[in-house]
Amino acid sequence: MATESWLTKFPEMERASLVAIRKGLDGAYRDFSRSWGESIEAVFDPLLMFLVWLEKLLITSPWWLVLAAIVVLVYAASRSWKLSLGVVVAFLLIGYFGMWENTMRTMSIITVCTLLSIALGVPIGIVMARSDRARSIITPILDIMQTMPAFVYLIPVVMLLGIGKVPGVIAVVIYAIPPVIRLTNLGIRLVDKEVLEAAAAYGATPWQRLAGVQLPLAMPTIMAGINQTIMMALSMVVIASMIGVKGLGQPVLKSITNQYFTMGLFNGLAIVALAITFDRVSQAYARRTQRHLKGREDA
Amino acid sequence: MPTGTSMVEKGEPDIAPELWSNSLKEAVEKGVAEKRLRVAGKSLSDGGEEGFWVPQYMVDKDPSLATIDGVRAKAKMFKHPEDPDKSGFYTCPAGWNCQISAGNLFKALKLADDGFELVDPGSGAGLSGAIAKAFAREEPWFGYYWAPTAVLGKYKMVKVDFGSGADKAEYMNCTSKADCENPKVTMYPPSLVETVTTESFAARAPKAYAYLTKRAFKNAQMNELLAWMEDNQADGNIVMEHFLKNYSSTWTPWVSADVAAKVEKALAGL
Repeated sequence: MATESWLTKFPEMERASLVAIRKGLDGAYRDFSRSWGESIEAVFDPLLMFLVWLEKLLITSPWWLVLAAIVVLVYAASRSWKLSLGVVVAFLLIGYFGMWENTMRTMSIITVCTLLSIALGVPIGIVMARSDRARSIITPILDIMQTMPAFVYLIPVVMLLGIGKVPGVIAVVIYAIPPVIRLTNLGIRLVDKEVLEAAAAYGATPWQRLAGVQLPLAMPTIMAGINQTIMMALSMVVIASMIGVKGLGQPVLKSITNQYFTMGLFNGLAIVALAITFDRVSQAYARRTQRHLKGREDA
Repeated sequence: MPTGTSMVEKGEPDIAPELWSNSLKEAVEKGVAEKRLRVAGKSLSDGGEEGFWVPQYMVDKDPSLATIDGVRAKAKMFKHPEDPDKSGFYTCPAGWNCQISAGNLFKALKLADDGFELVDPGSGAGLSGAIAKAFAREEPWFGYYWAPTAVLGKYKMVKVDFGSGADKAEYMNCTSKADCENPKVTMYPPSLVETVTTESFAARAPKAYAYLTKRAFKNAQMNELLAWMEDNQADGNIVMEHFLKNYSSTWTPWVSADVAAKVEKALAGL
């Protein structure tokens, strides 16, 4: 070690200082978890109750009832026979290959995650669009949320909240929310300034401008954001299963550990089927609402 | 399992320094018979220790929890993370071989009758995270774990005694198999943990292979080293230096005298 100089080896921090920093941070987090853990867990309890209830509902209801409900929702949102038929076929195949219960579990938790992401993400995107300051603060946070490896923030979350659905929801939402925030921000900013001026000239209040002009015109971009959010939420299914979330992720994990290629493939395809269903339905619904606003005659 | 498969099929990596062979018994035996693998010896001389554990702080307050009957009687203490009416037993993550044995023993001990439900932590990290959380809050915890590990070195736990002793035949024939019809209660016998190398490595590096046949750690020592690593946030290189400097009575018999002298000289230079 005495023969190394900064010319050949990067001058690193003294190992003792690095160890002290690491131990200090770990110790501080442990103390934080000890004093605040129970109260934070209590905050998430209602969410946990809801998740458990929804999952039980989907699993204990007869499968044909759940399938009928899904198809009704799909048709109501999209008014497309082809899509509804496709969904029926996909879910029948999923059930036939023995993946029904897992798919129900994944569907319940991902639905909650997607709805949470949209409910939280669109308002944050709107805030970002109205203020450059907000954008400069929020953008790096979004960068971290998208690239920080999930296990890095999962470890402290598991220490605080234990394994199970709530850390799973937190992990999925953190990973999946940035697209909808970014694209909401982008969509609103891209609205033609002259259209906004025209609306102001007609005496529209800021809220009316937002709800009546900006949001509808930004809708295609926002829908692209929601699509990406859905896709990313479903892609986190396997990582969520690594902290104990039941569903389609677990058989995929099993197949990695035991090298069962086909089991992984089938469960992966079920996840893909879920993603495409969610996405086509939300896209079709959005297109229908936009057509109405744009006043087209052909429905 | 991926390591074992890769060594047999592709001849790499050369060495698997800590292979828990029970989970791969047939594959390893086949590899040795086909002259693709060679078993150098035991890397953990006591064998791996598996079992169902409860934290030390719980046993300090209530010594009956060291037996399975005590745990059963106090089942209500071990809350299930998601279901308030049930008690949670943290089993092995999905896909691991120990999931089979832990599940079979759960059935044999009839823990479901006492209100216990299997909680699948999803991954090794999830399981250790759950243990860390329980210890941070001094909460009750009951589940499967194995030694020697950093987790058991750092978080002191007590193995729950089923009162049945370890029945090796029952374990090999039934408990560790997925299709076991009527699992019986048995403690875990020591797990075989071996150093396995490819045949080509053994042939081209006989001296290194000879070292591997002699190298073996005792569990108490390994737990100590792992706990030291944990406390000092050390990685492999650092604990290697620590081990070579402080445990010379352990490693000197593994190598010839001139090699030992060379190592001592290099250590002095550090």
